[in-house]
Amino acid sequence: MSDTRYLLFSGCLIPARLPFLERSSCFVLDRLGIRYERLPDPTCCVEPIGLRSLGYDTWLATTARMLSIAEKREAEILSLCNGCFMSLKEAQHRLQDESVREQVNSILAPTGVLYNAGARVRHFSEIIAETGSSRVRKEVIAPQERFKLAIHPGCHLTRPSRVLQAEGRFEPKMIATIASWTGASVAHSDDWPQCCGGGLAGVDDRISNAVMEQNVTRFREDGANAILTPCPFCFVQYDIRQRSGMPVLYLAELLALAFGAKPEEIGLKYHKTKLNV
Amino acid sequence: MRRPPPLVEEERLRSEKLARLELWRCHQCGQCTAVCPSGKNGGIRTREVLERAANGTLDTASDEQIWQCLMCNSCSERCELDADPAEVITLLRNIAAEQGNLPDHFKEEAKLFLATGLSFPITGMTRKIRKELGLPDLAVDQRTVEEVKLIVAGTRLGRLRLE
Repeated sequence: MSDTRYLLFSGCLIPARLPFLERSSCFVLDRLGIRYERLPDPTCCVEPIGLRSLGYDTWLATTARMLSIAEKREAEILSLCNGCFMSLKEAQHRLQDESVREQVNSILAPTGVLYNAGARVRHFSEIIAETGSSRVRKEVIAPQERFKLAIHPGCHLTRPSRVLQAEGRFEPKMIATIASWTGASVAHSDDWPQCCGGGLAGVDDRISNAVMEQNVTRFREDGANAILTPCPFCFVQYDIRQRSGMPVLYLAELLALAFGAKPEEIGLKYHKTKLNV
Repeated sequence: MRRPPPLVEEERLRSEKLARLELWRCHQCGQCTAVCPSGKNGGIRTREVLERAANGTLDTASDEQIWQCLMCNSCSERCELDADPAEVITLLRNIAAEQGNLPDHFKEEAKLFLATGLSFPITGMTRKIRKELGLPDLAVDQRTVEEVKLIVAGTRLGRLRLE
């Protein structure tokens, strides 16, 4: 057993396509003195939109494999992605059921992995919220007053709320609260967290884009000049696929900027929609 | 709480599958459709999918609506009766995929996952940016990829025809 409480799991999308979001996340965790190691031997979480739709049991067995690694180390998985968070946490919830766990362990038998229902899964934003206002504010040396943010928590941080237990199903407050600690103001937040449309990107782009652009229209009407999200899938949708030009910040980027990170240090130049606010 | 859904299923259980989705929970109130962002934009008609799944008129081998779901879970969060439409749609998609009804986009993703253990490709650009930002090099080691292959071989994903 190590004395590290968290095992950082960055998933697929962040490390492969958006490594700069991993950089800002590590920057923030380091500044706050939150100790972590990387989850050993990670794979894709069998994301909850496409892959899980193809193989429910593939999802449970793959996640159980990673949950068992965390269980052995007696550390919590710290996820940087809403999709991974929901995938792992919902699996962890389902695997509390002994009969499901037995079936999954029998699938895992050829790999020698055994999961005993002892893992815990957390989202980056939960860890920041728990760290608390006074500790986070202490690190803020460059208040981000220029941002009037549209808060986009993302579906898989909130729903299913009874399983994820990160946010309320109605009027989630966590992301807006954290944002306020950085000096940014909140121009828009939804009572019912809206979907970014990303689940149909590449499958039905017409629906995917319509859902996103409707969100951005509301953000603009409320006077927002940037979007804030803790989810890399929502980030891609707004940063790369959006046509109306509103920039997006990943939660860790906003915190890193407020903590004094230089834009080049956290790779802000890799945003497709530039942060010209 | 809902009973856990079926995992490793045998062919003889096919006729029981729809019963296992606990479709009797749905009373056709339509709250799911009211909160559905895809439906609002001409996509999936969630209430109708649950109705047709329950009365046996949804053909999973050809249905296109089930692939217009964004998996945002709004319907399941809203449902008063715990019919869990998003879960029902996930399991209908599992059956559909096995019958060869699945979008190319997800087929490609599944192939990548099988080959590399990840759902997104590691490119030269990935390596360049990771190096520039001082992040460790990224690759799933071969032993882990072999474990993924063993898992896939014993589960539904391994039974899909992906070519």
